[in-house]
Amino acid sequence: MPVYLPIAEMSVDALLLLGIGLGVGWLSGLFGVGGGFLLTPLLILIGIPAPVAVASGANQTLGASVSGLIAQWRRGNVDVRMGAVLLVAGLVGSAAGTQFFVLLRRLGQVDLAVSLFYVVVLGTVGALMVRESLRAILRRRRALPARTHQHSWLHGLPFKMRFRKSRLYISIIPPALVGFGIGILSAIMGVGGGFMLVPAMIYLLGMPTMTTIGTSLLQVTFVSANVTLLQALQTGSVDIVLTLLLLTGGVAGAQFGAAMGTKLRGEETRALLGLLVLAVAAGLLVDLLQTPSHLYLIGPAT
Amino acid sequence: MRRRRVPALAALLLAAFLALAPGASAQREPPPGAPVQVGPALAAELGQPRIAVDTSFTGADLLVFGATDRLLGPAGDNVVVVGLGPPRDVTVRRRIKRLGIWVNGPAARFREVPDYYALAATAPVAGLLEEAARRERRLGLDMLAARLPGSRDPAFRSALIDLKRASNQWNEEEDMVEVSGGRLFHARLPLPSTIAPGDYMVQVLLVRANRIIARQELSFRVDRVGATARIAEAARYQPLLYGLACIALAALAGWMGSVIFRRS
Repeated sequence: MPVYLPIAEMSVDALLLLGIGLGVGWLSGLFGVGGGFLLTPLLILIGIPAPVAVASGANQTLGASVSGLIAQWRRGNVDVRMGAVLLVAGLVGSAAGTQFFVLLRRLGQVDLAVSLFYVVVLGTVGALMVRESLRAILRRRRALPARTHQHSWLHGLPFKMRFRKSRLYISIIPPALVGFGIGILSAIMGVGGGFMLVPAMIYLLGMPTMTTIGTSLLQVTFVSANVTLLQALQTGSVDIVLTLLLLTGGVAGAQFGAAMGTKLRGEETRALLGLLVLAVAAGLLVDLLQTPSHLYLIGPAT
Repeated sequence: MRRRRVPALAALLLAAFLALAPGASAQREPPPGAPVQVGPALAAELGQPRIAVDTSFTGADLLVFGATDRLLGPAGDNVVVVGLGPPRDVTVRRRIKRLGIWVNGPAARFREVPDYYALAATAPVAGLLEEAARRERRLGLDMLAARLPGSRDPAFRSALIDLKRASNQWNEEEDMVEVSGGRLFHARLPLPSTIAPGDYMVQVLLVRANRIIARQELSFRVDRVGATARIAEAARYQPLLYGLACIALAALAGWMGSVIFRRS
């Protein structure tokens, strides 16, 4: 069933878009990530022009996150206070990241920088998550008592705040730094940042897995809304027809994913997300190393 | 996928043209001394002056039809049809390997590259006209590329041809111009779904004894219509409102999904 996309200026099979939306939405609900790091490369793969893929991907991430956010909210898994701290820092970080992006573009090779960022960041995050979750699973198997959260220098910092939902009493400096850093990365990589945020919350802030997913969805929702608006204003490449088709599949997938997520243990969820992130990093690395099938590219004159 | 049946209207037009053809040739007698080119040795028309791009657009075939005063065929005259899209500046980049990874290397810029190009003829064009004439009229992708202003590197030029062909935006002599009844001809120019809105031109050339003896220029427009047009215009002229609408619609879709698929 072909449908003509008004901004991408091409005809695509609607069922293909519904299927992609369903798959990415399911992952989004299961892991509490927007799925932008998966969706954007997929859209480019099926021939959508890269700017439209990035901008519409952000818009679809917004819808999918809202859907997942509501599902998590009902289960009481959203730490609003933590989300607000992360979000404010994240918006500041993404403004700084946008400036860095402009600098990269002036230097040329922005494509290369983005690809390398993807490989390095996804590879590191994925490897760390897999390693940690495998350890946790092994520890559980041996029936050793899990270590409780340890006190470190992080707990000596000032401006302490109580995050009731996450059962944390820590300084707001670490979450603000996490939010800022992920804001920078998400502006450069054109993604919501959920796949980085979830592990950062667990390992750096010591939040329980249950609240990290709902809270990261809160942050991803607002960051992707911001990216959508900026893209609509600056590049005009948000394709609403593409977005709504992806979402039609995506919202259904997100609900099933969220329901399934509650059945999985935290460590298993993290291991699966880690493997997925590693797989995407590996795929992008192969693309960089492999001899491309087309040695030439065409684009509008710059 | 991009092929679509020509509307019945076009077939009717062709029939009407058939009926009118004898009248048209009756008025043909050129006044003495007048240049041969302006005589109605050739009369051509398009099936539709406007291609409407709506949400179900998957590409179309543009019908070009007409008649000549003398017989067409291997022993007689020949017809060449060229379709040209709006010009655009493009950059072609070559990927190179640096430190083991593939990066974008040298680039070549070409100016006034037609967004669309199609060529059809009653016989292979290379056998109909000398190279100079083909070059002047841009008959053939090699001739078209050779005349483009911009980089002179032949590798980039052939890459441009390959890329444009691969996207179905350029094609040459895929289908022949078909002849019926000796003097009526028609051709279908394939328009891909990625065709850009704008003004397009179709040239119909009549070739006799290795010379172009008559030429007719026809034009058509590609326009977005309906919802497609409204969305594209909103994105372009009301970016703030459009962006806010996209956010609201996406959020609404997400909320509706969580209501519909609520599993409690």
